Amino acid sequence: MNAIPQLFFDAMSLGGIYAMAALGIALIFGVMNLVNFAHGEYIAFCVFALIVPSTDAVAVMFIGKAPAILLIPMLLSIGALVAVASEFFVFRHMRNSTPVAMMISSFALGFVIQNTLLLVYSSRPKAVSLWPELNKPVSIVGASIPLLQIIVIVTTLIVVVALALLLKRTRIGLEMRAAAENFTMARLLGVRANVVITGAFALSGALAAAVALIMVTQTGVADVRMGGQIMLVAFIATVIGGLGSLPGAVAAGFLIGAASVILQGFLPLEARPFRDAFLYTLVIAVLLLKPDGLFAPRSSKPRV
Amino acid sequence: MAQTHKQKRLSAWSTPILLIAILIVFTFLVTLFGDKSLARMAAQTLIRVTFVVGLWIFVGNSGVVSFGHAAYMAIGAYCSAWLTLRPQMKGLFLPDLWPFLANAEWHVFPAAVVSGLLAAIVALISGAAILRLTGIAASIATFAFLAIVYTIYSSWEGVTGATSSVVGLTRYADQWVTLAWASATVLAAACYANSSSGLALRATREDEVAADASGINMYRHRLIALVVSAFFTGVAGALFGHSLGVLNPNSFYLGVTFITLAMLVVGGIGSLTGAVTGVLVLSIIIEALVRAERGVAFGETTFALPTGAQEIIIGIIMILVLILRPAGLTGGRELRLRLGKR
Amino acid sequence: MSKLGVFDVAVRYGKVPALSDVSFTVEEGERLFISGPNGAGKSSLLKAICGAAPTSHGRIEVDGDVLNGRSPEAIARLGLTMVPEGREIFGTLSVEENLRVGTGIRRDKSAIETDIAEVYQSFPILGERRHSNAGALSGGQQQMLAIGRGLLTNPKLMLVDEPSLGLAPNIVDQVYETLVNLQKDRGLTLIIVEQSSARAARVGGRMVLLRGGKVVGDGDAAKFAESDLLNEAYFGQDNSKETA
Repeated sequence: MNAIPQLFFDAMSLGGIYAMAALGIALIFGVMNLVNFAHGEYIAFCVFALIVPSTDAVAVMFIGKAPAILLIPMLLSIGALVAVASEFFVFRHMRNSTPVAMMISSFALGFVIQNTLLLVYSSRPKAVSLWPELNKPVSIVGASIPLLQIIVIVTTLIVVVALALLLKRTRIGLEMRAAAENFTMARLLGVRANVVITGAFALSGALAAAVALIMVTQTGVADVRMGGQIMLVAFIATVIGGLGSLPGAVAAGFLIGAASVILQGFLPLEARPFRDAFLYTLVIAVLLLKPDGLFAPRSSKPRV
Repeated sequence: MAQTHKQKRLSAWSTPILLIAILIVFTFLVTLFGDKSLARMAAQTLIRVTFVVGLWIFVGNSGVVSFGHAAYMAIGAYCSAWLTLRPQMKGLFLPDLWPFLANAEWHVFPAAVVSGLLAAIVALISGAAILRLTGIAASIATFAFLAIVYTIYSSWEGVTGATSSVVGLTRYADQWVTLAWASATVLAAACYANSSSGLALRATREDEVAADASGINMYRHRLIALVVSAFFTGVAGALFGHSLGVLNPNSFYLGVTFITLAMLVVGGIGSLTGAVTGVLVLSIIIEALVRAERGVAFGETTFALPTGAQEIIIGIIMILVLILRPAGLTGGRELRLRLGKR
Repeated sequence: MSKLGVFDVAVRYGKVPALSDVSFTVEEGERLFISGPNGAGKSSLLKAICGAAPTSHGRIEVDGDVLNGRSPEAIARLGLTMVPEGREIFGTLSVEENLRVGTGIRRDKSAIETDIAEVYQSFPILGERRHSNAGALSGGQQQMLAIGRGLLTNPKLMLVDEPSLGLAPNIVDQVYETLVNLQKDRGLTLIIVEQSSARAARVGGRMVLLRGGKVVGDGDAAKFAESDLLNEAYFGQDNSKETA
């Protein structure tokens, strides 16, 4: 086996998942300064939308039964819908609140979603077999890589490019970028606040659904807690990337993916269970050196 | 009409005294009229008061939301277990403890104090780094800190028992012991809030930039508040372990972070009274919901909430309070006696 | 009907009043300066008109449509645009993207391209740098961009807040020349906050003088420059006289 290409693909595919989750968080932060802790639960929600609601240990496919060509757009819409609904019922009423109050309410919302899932599906992790053929290994440059890893990497690239095109080339994209930089000014120029915010939440939710699809195919498990860890990493990626910077979020997502794979590969065996502790320590260290993130947008400093 | 300076100071001190009186009345009522399970609930509530008031010392005065205080709680809880568990037990379940800890068989009170001190020392070290950050980045860093401590405590097999629970802790933390600690915490919180450091820190809460310009060393005062705050959350952790008799790292992660923040927010982050009110109000609601989950008889039929409804309802209450009454139930005001002529 | 009517308007921030009993009207095609010392409420007045600050009392109308309670984006759709203090251009967007942000409200999509070309003609430097980040422009260029961006919403009424702030005097001349020409060409109604009454007198137009959140004078800008009223507004006592 060839270890270096193997590590590379591991890092890229893990980083891709982190990058997509981080993008979802950075989009919302950009337009409304909301640190959305509920994002991880959007992911979990999408995972569970695949299976029939029940507390049984064996998962019966629900939406998951549909062929991929239907399933993917359906799940992306579900993700978008959940995110838009959360904006409509919660965050819309907090437009004049402080960022701290919004952050705490998103934390509460995440808890509500998680416990609703718990209530409906029970806390036992369920085996879910979605597209198992994708986990078959293929051989590339001497390394044996699961097909899925390559799909993840390609998907991430497609998503990032599509999002970049959307933001660069479309009217709504232009309005989102303007609103992300200066919301009031954008509104003074006729940009509709509700349209932009709803659009950002829809995109963010769709990204969460994409992450959910990848995670469930990769792990074969539906677990109520699966959103929590990835959300934490994604957050850290958005902060390191410079809050609100989309390219920064993507870059930092890949960076953390790489750091985590490298730590896993090179830490001594007895230290490996502590990998995440090392990772987060590294993150705090990065923040201390660069409090505005590695790729902070120029306008992020408060003016005095 | 106007109060003299002296009266104002006395009036400020009436807050902790009134709050402690409320806690004492609460404990007496529950002990007199309640059953054993209600007494246990009272002890749990008073531990939460200790924790949330401890958390308030930092969050309420600095305005920085900390997601990391459950970590100080874990540190305190495990420290007290290391110091008080019988050496034979430790040899069996926690074989990698250092000899000094493995042979320790301390009395529970000094153990609780040392547990708080250990949490305070960790706060001093972690805070020295994290508090260099401000705003959202600081809050995210406290989250990362929580994840670090959680990862360590749930993986360090020979020292913390990892994910298998540590059992056999003396269950000494009844409602009276916890009442004493909760009262001490309220008193300490009032002392800190009225100290020069507390006043300076609250000035920075309103406007970081302006306070910085007026020469307040925000970093130093935040660090002081964090250390004091961590001491009491550490003690709350020790009490928690000695109230249930069992320790598991999962008790000190997102669940407790959520519920304690909910208490602080519902009561009102801006005041000490808010912290205590939030704990009492939500604890009573939680108790009612727990009973409702077990089933309440309405004549012939039994009505039972599904398990897990508790967290959902608390979450919804929290969001509603944030939307409708962002400053919490107390609106940031303190309960106090008005001394002097009106 | 007046282009803009401001009737008995009051604005307060918390308990602090910023404006009270402010009334005046502006006719179509008119040029109005709003002047007064710091803290007189000039910016608050503009913010109230464009919907960025809520009024606590009174009524504001454009062409007879009441603006109170409408969102800034709805007010922009009535043909009112704002060139704010400090320019507030979108620094991470390109020059051209800045110009296009406000075009979403226009029905005459076909005219947008010609309008952009026209802006580039009036400000050649913007045309040259159309694809570079707007944040890299100089202060004067940013002011031109902010004006151009406002124009692209195809406004009938343009509010300009302190266009001379932080700019060199010769650049300020240029900015005013541009504004006056635009007004001539397009029949715009212009409302300009200008702290320097001398400047306002030189450009010419009507002037509303604010002090302590109240209107203390309303008349020809050139006449103000000669009268004591200005001095009084800037240095006088609180019991300011009413003017006829």
